[in-house]
Amino acid sequence: MNIVVCVKQVPDTATERKLRSEDKTLDRDAADGVVNELDEYAVEEALRLKEAHGGEVTVLSMGPAKATETIRKALAMGADKAVHLHDDALHGSDALGTSYAVSQALKKIGFDLVILGSESTDARTGMLAAMLAERLGAPQLTLASKVEIEGTAIRVERITDYGYDKVEASLPAVVSVVEKINEPRYPSFKGIMAAKKKPVETLGIADADIAADQVGLANSWSEVVDFAAAPPRAAGTVIKDEGDGGARAAEFLASKKFI
Amino acid sequence: MDFTLPESAQAVRRGVADVCARYDMDYWQRCETEKRWPEEVWADLAKGGWLGLAVPEEYGGAGQGLLELAVATETLSASGSAGGSAFMYVLTPGFGALTLARHGSAEQKEALLPKLATGEMETCFALTEPDAGSNSLAISTFARRDGSDFVVNGQKVWITGVQRAARMLLVTRTIPAERARPRTDGLTVFLVDVPEAVRAGGLTYRPIPKMGANTTPSNMVFVDDLRLPASSVLGEVDRGVAVLWDVLNPERILLAASALGAAEVALRVGVDYAKQREVFGRPIGANQAVAFPLARVKAEIELARLMLYKAAWSFDNGLPCGTEANIAKLAASRAAWEAADAAFQTHGGMAYSLEYPVARLLADARIGRIAPVTEELLLNHLATQVLGLPRSF
Repeated sequence: MNIVVCVKQVPDTATERKLRSEDKTLDRDAADGVVNELDEYAVEEALRLKEAHGGEVTVLSMGPAKATETIRKALAMGADKAVHLHDDALHGSDALGTSYAVSQALKKIGFDLVILGSESTDARTGMLAAMLAERLGAPQLTLASKVEIEGTAIRVERITDYGYDKVEASLPAVVSVVEKINEPRYPSFKGIMAAKKKPVETLGIADADIAADQVGLANSWSEVVDFAAAPPRAAGTVIKDEGDGGARAAEFLASKKFI
Repeated sequence: MDFTLPESAQAVRRGVADVCARYDMDYWQRCETEKRWPEEVWADLAKGGWLGLAVPEEYGGAGQGLLELAVATETLSASGSAGGSAFMYVLTPGFGALTLARHGSAEQKEALLPKLATGEMETCFALTEPDAGSNSLAISTFARRDGSDFVVNGQKVWITGVQRAARMLLVTRTIPAERARPRTDGLTVFLVDVPEAVRAGGLTYRPIPKMGANTTPSNMVFVDDLRLPASSVLGEVDRGVAVLWDVLNPERILLAASALGAAEVALRVGVDYAKQREVFGRPIGANQAVAFPLARVKAEIELARLMLYKAAWSFDNGLPCGTEANIAKLAASRAAWEAADAAFQTHGGMAYSLEYPVARLLADARIGRIAPVTEELLLNHLATQVLGLPRSF
């Protein structure tokens, strides 16, 4: 089975993240790049499926030059090879542009199964899996907390507000995972050393038949109009219990639509 | 000259940092307060192969050297464990695996190294005695020949990690100190099966209540008519000093690595606080009286690191490393102390609260200036062995 895992390098959520004032895109140099956390679960699931069913795991990452660190980490976890979609023309692509570029790369690589995290910690649109499925004409199995494969059938437990749905499709398919699905492994010493020798192919937009007029900041369908720093946390509301504390706390939560 | 760390050591830094990222300062504080071994970190380090770094590949390890172990220790320590990291890398990967790989017999290596590589088996080291600390050649624990066996009697002190150890490297005299010529002669190191020796009544121990570094107890150890087969000798009878140097130099280097990491974490804690804490309308770090001690610590850390890596590299390349190990230990433990003290002063009154990590860092850093060898003895080595000054003892 040919499994492709999409991984994204995101700024470390533990550090201060910034947008660049000149083009309102993420300042990727301002923070340390780490593997998007949910994508680590995707890598782990891909490795488990490979261990159970055989095949090969290819990492696909679209991003600037420094995304190679993220690719190496996925390879250190145990993926076999990687494709780095890297071209200055891709800078600033929105979800539609990104899904187009990634889907073109996926067509080029070929796949039985595409796995990715259900959202990234930077843009957080959570739409990529659905868009990819649409563009690839493959079934979308999103928010998976469990994946089973039998022959060409793929069964997924898809989390919902009320529990989970059991959904089934046939391969090739696109799956996005949630953190409930597994516990990602740490790269081992041998894994890290071996990762240095694993092949990483770099694709530019021409290599992946990506039309320049459909990607990049200038061709994005969505636009960041303005941005501002989050306001500092305001003083909290203190409810002093005078016998009706519970009721007033509930009222407060209801007024904020938490309950 | 190339100062880039080899790829293997860079891989160690990344991999161990990855494991440690899941454990924060509060985790280490809890281990210290609850006086418990960091089981979770130990298991994670074992899983990734980070404990067996210096075990030869044929015994299930990664076939790397002391440099990689030192970088692992430093990384673990700098992640927040500080003093506690020392025991995790010194006791088993250092005392046990490194020494066995160099001095173990084929049978000993076969039996123990694969389990030491996975952390499934742990070791400890017993040299110091109530009357032989700095003067370790004066030990009096004696192994008497009895047929093909040895029978050992004596007492040890400050023996850390006995509770978890499956094997103890027990240093004895087979020629009494007063008759040994030279004094380094007549030492014999045994590999003692700890649970077996305890069951047989030949080995008892009692933890010593201590000021810090409480993730692992340190003990008084009593050896009474402990019968050991000749096959448990590590290295050669009477020539244990060869084993000893290969234990003591890596011990200094790994403790220097732990101290260096402890200095880094203390500096980080101090700098963060100096940036955040505002008094008189500006961050206290804007005051040079606060900033300079932190800046000086940074310089001390970088200097100590150079000597640490040189010492480890020398050991791995079979070069003499005693002086380098001593200087690294002196510099790193001094940096850890200065860093903890600077962080303490920066925190002002809050440093005294156990809700901040500074008090733990200070307590742990203090022992580094004494164990496993005092600053004074390190300076003595430099004075007499390197500078050729006359001995006072």
